[in-house]
Amino acid sequence: MSEMISIEDGPLLRVRNAVKVYGPTRALSGVTLTVHAGEVLGIVGHNGAGKSTLMRVLSGLETIDAGSVEIGGITTPPRTGYPGVRMAYQEGSLALELSVSENIYLSSTAWMPRWRWRGVAARQTATRLQEIFPRNAIKPSDYVDDLPIADRQRVEIARATITNDLRLLILDEPTESLSGSAVDQLYDYVRKLRARGVAIILVSHRLREILSVSDRVAVMKDGDIVSVHDAADSTERDLFMAMGGEVAVSGTRGGAARRDMDGAHPVAVRIPMMTLDGEPADIFAHKGEVIGLAGIAGQGQEEVLSRLWRANRGDVDVGADLAYVPGDRQRSGILPLWDVAANLSITALPSLARRGIRQFDKEHELVTRWVDMLKVRGGARAAITALSGGNQQKVIVARAFASEAAVILLDDPFRGVDVHTKASLYQLIRSEAANGRTIVWYSSENSEMQHCDRAYVLRASRIAGELHGAEITDERIISLSFAESRETAA
Amino acid sequence: MNATSPALTMGGLPKGSARRILPGLLTLLAMMLILIVCGTIQPRIWSQGGMTLIMSPIVALAIATMAQMVLMSIGDIDLSIGFFVGMVTTIVATFMRETPLMGVLALAACVLAYAMIGALVQLREVPSLIATLGASFIWLGVGLFILPVPGGLAPDWLFQYAMWRPPFSIPVPIVTMVFATAITWLFMQRTRLGARFRSLGSNPTALARTGASLLLTRMLAYATTGFLGVLAGVTLTAEIGGGDVNAVPGYTLTTIAAVILGGGMFTGGRSVAWGALFGAVTLGLMTVLLTLLNLSSNLQPAVQGSIVIAVLAGRLVVERLTR
Amino acid sequence: MKGLSEISPPPWLWSFLAAIIVLLLTFLVSGVGGSQTVTLAFTIAPYLVLVGLGQMLVMSAGPGNIDVSVAKVFSLGGLLSIAIGEMTGSWVLGIAGAMLAGLALSAISVVAILYVRIPPIVATLATSLITSAISLTLAKGFQGFADPAVKSFLNWAPFGVPAFAVLVVIFTVFVSWLLKRTVWGVQTLAFGQARRAAEYAGISAPRTLAVVYLTSGVLAALAGALRAAFSAPNVELGNDYLLDSIAVVVIGGTLISGGRAVPWGVWGGALFFILLDGLLNLIGWSYAGQSMLKGLLVLAVLFLAGGSPILRRRGARSPASWISRAMRFRAQERPSAQTSRHRRRAP
Repeated sequence: MSEMISIEDGPLLRVRNAVKVYGPTRALSGVTLTVHAGEVLGIVGHNGAGKSTLMRVLSGLETIDAGSVEIGGITTPPRTGYPGVRMAYQEGSLALELSVSENIYLSSTAWMPRWRWRGVAARQTATRLQEIFPRNAIKPSDYVDDLPIADRQRVEIARATITNDLRLLILDEPTESLSGSAVDQLYDYVRKLRARGVAIILVSHRLREILSVSDRVAVMKDGDIVSVHDAADSTERDLFMAMGGEVAVSGTRGGAARRDMDGAHPVAVRIPMMTLDGEPADIFAHKGEVIGLAGIAGQGQEEVLSRLWRANRGDVDVGADLAYVPGDRQRSGILPLWDVAANLSITALPSLARRGIRQFDKEHELVTRWVDMLKVRGGARAAITALSGGNQQKVIVARAFASEAAVILLDDPFRGVDVHTKASLYQLIRSEAANGRTIVWYSSENSEMQHCDRAYVLRASRIAGELHGAEITDERIISLSFAESRETAA
Repeated sequence: MNATSPALTMGGLPKGSARRILPGLLTLLAMMLILIVCGTIQPRIWSQGGMTLIMSPIVALAIATMAQMVLMSIGDIDLSIGFFVGMVTTIVATFMRETPLMGVLALAACVLAYAMIGALVQLREVPSLIATLGASFIWLGVGLFILPVPGGLAPDWLFQYAMWRPPFSIPVPIVTMVFATAITWLFMQRTRLGARFRSLGSNPTALARTGASLLLTRMLAYATTGFLGVLAGVTLTAEIGGGDVNAVPGYTLTTIAAVILGGGMFTGGRSVAWGALFGAVTLGLMTVLLTLLNLSSNLQPAVQGSIVIAVLAGRLVVERLTR
Repeated sequence: MKGLSEISPPPWLWSFLAAIIVLLLTFLVSGVGGSQTVTLAFTIAPYLVLVGLGQMLVMSAGPGNIDVSVAKVFSLGGLLSIAIGEMTGSWVLGIAGAMLAGLALSAISVVAILYVRIPPIVATLATSLITSAISLTLAKGFQGFADPAVKSFLNWAPFGVPAFAVLVVIFTVFVSWLLKRTVWGVQTLAFGQARRAAEYAGISAPRTLAVVYLTSGVLAALAGALRAAFSAPNVELGNDYLLDSIAVVVIGGTLISGGRAVPWGVWGGALFFILLDGLLNLIGWSYAGQSMLKGLLVLAVLFLAGGSPILRRRGARSPASWISRAMRFRAQERPSAQTSRHRRRAP
């Protein structure tokens, strides 16, 4: 039950010159921001811009080193965070082995009875889920581990809102794992909360979505807010320019030139699949091609990559060495004890060595070349954990390309990475392909697929369609992704 | 792992519940099977006296298994439970008999010591494996200090409890085991603290974000394990009649095996009180079975070890087929 | 070991310091000639070092990796080498046979870990049970003596420096070199830090794990074979070596969570423990007291050193956070950075 607070009462949230330093990195360099009750503020910016740090400060998880943060009149939060402030995280907030209602109970114990809580928790869970995401298939007694990721995200969002005194809701990349109607449902709910006087901060890379639901949009860069725009008067391009400017994203619209791949280029990768109609068909790639795997997230793209990576069943034809770029760098990417150089060279090590013995000079040369090429901020000697997420991802990608592998598998590695890093990495992909490397690239972001020569749209682990060159557009991918959804609507 | 297979939704059952209950059920079946085989060879076990006879050595194991299960549910493992239970028997057989107040204080100190280990694990991020391995030598030392050779005598009230014949011809060991399991199950599944334990094991970050103290939660979990270990030691004292720190060093592997048989995992988050009970009874009945089959007791550890490997292998196969 | 990562002393330093402290205490208590104690320590330490090096490799391969079968394999190695040596008349075959047995037994662990997906603690526990069963069977009515040539070599200490210790030191140099300069070493340590990342980088999990466990088994058996030759074969010979091997690895600075191995720390830890054993025996502590003290020591070292989390948030609770706190003072003195600019776009 949040009270109606009018904007004239003064801002709900007031941040003044907030500074946060981690070792050599200045994550927040003097952020000043106000948010009023009943408004939606969008926040956009690179990784390393300070968005996640700012969110952690606002939710009470971190304290700033200088400046002040005042939310609802309180400047020093108790351990449970500022009263009335709740955050829906992008990941990691749910205990997988517990049921949905148990997770929500633990998160909202202050507002639930001490004994006989199971019934209350279950009811509140079901009600809220239904309210935000009508017609969902989630039962409060379901175990989180067995829910698809999109459902987990729904639970996470519901979890954040189940409280008696919601004043500020922070949504951190809430739609990364959601699709289609769920996104619309979420934003409808956001508008409903706004009408009730709740302030909402929305952090996202989806510029179009942010503009559609926010009142104002703040652009962060290098630990500070560089500009605040009225959403009604701004376009994606304005935000883009404020973030960095020189990146020519529009130049890539239209897709990579369709290359004539035929017998002149041997087939490097072939994996048997089926079409939606049950006919056998292959996903294949010629040497030097960039192949995209598109479609709604979780429709079999990762399984294709997995089959290619393991390539031991006999039906998959991969002639050459493979390298894999994981999407989850924290768990599957970085080697946290080592520096950038060691992280970068690890895959290439055997090929640089002589009879199993390391050749330090060759390693150094390789590392220097890649660090310079991708402009890894921090340098080769920096500890990998001191780098921003985007720079870490540069190292992980460089690791794969620095190896001798002829086929590179990309597992949605650019999620949550800033646009500038993405641009330089797309460049890298194209130039490596031009050099004869074969790239198989799964991305959950349709616009990325425009960098491919061909893209397969997958639906329920089957090929829904194949697009060539300029055909690879957002609209086409979407229409193919949903091709069968009416029949198989679960 | 994202898409749920239709076979598991079982229209109406919560998603994921089947996968969690199945191992315990299989172990229950195995337990019944062994009981039946034993009963076929020696029908006299089917009496209150007979059942008491074969079950009473298993009580302490079952309660120790509850202790191990609690610790495994937070994602840790206890390699010291064997010597801890043994040490408790030395305390019970000496202090509890002569100066009960000192005895109670000593046992409380044991529980506190466990909580300290939990603090060490949480604060200094030490793996429980190594911390409890180190602790096991402290328990061994203390136990040897109190009773350098097996001795002492269990208090009278303990003997009386062991002699009790409950109504409906239910053997007292079964009453004890079921009671201990029921309390553990209630605690882990129905209380907030139990949910916090499981959350700690499944995703500590999630627990931290709810505002709970990871340190306190972990210490309480260890204290719970210590408490159950004390209970196990008390019942063991009744069983062996005195104190002996080296009474049950094998409990370490056996309790782990029992929890695994019950459906527990090493990665934490899952609490399988009833399954662990069935696992403990199954493994405990192994000795009986071997004796009835006239096989050397030296084989017993090997048999237990093989069962564990077989069960885990079987589970692997089943998981491959149903996921 | 709690120091800031850049400025901290080498990880093995603390264990050697502790050993020296115990040595000094021993002098104080007994007043016995110093070099004798040192020679004795270096005579006994190599066996523990061998087992410890194997355990170190296993633990470096990642969290949860541990070999609890070393104690029983050690004992069996001793019994087998003497038995085979007696049968064939060649101590070389005896030791080789023991090492082969160590290989075979750890292969059981490997198969259980890799193919049945049993966690290492359980797999190696199971192997130790099987090993102990074999030992008991072998020990029934066992009669055997070590080859006198081996025995005298193990006791040989020209100029007070035990020759065997020198051999093991050379071996430690070799292990250290392997870890730093070979692809295998780097790959194993990478695997220990972040298994999935290492697998995606092309490092084979089965091969990495198999090598470390097999090595541990071989080293434990070898150490047992030599130890039995040094004193006498016995089923209980290896009992102390389980906790001791883990303790010396931990005390020596190897990361329990994997990814960093400190071979020289194993020496420091071994010397410390052996000197400690000597000191305690000297002042008449019972086995109960020794056991308690060792357990407390291990816990104390764990408390001081701490494990190292696999993943850290940027800056949180890392050595860098000490620096950040220092910087906070400076930040407060500096005028605040840019103020945000509000921009309104004209329609």
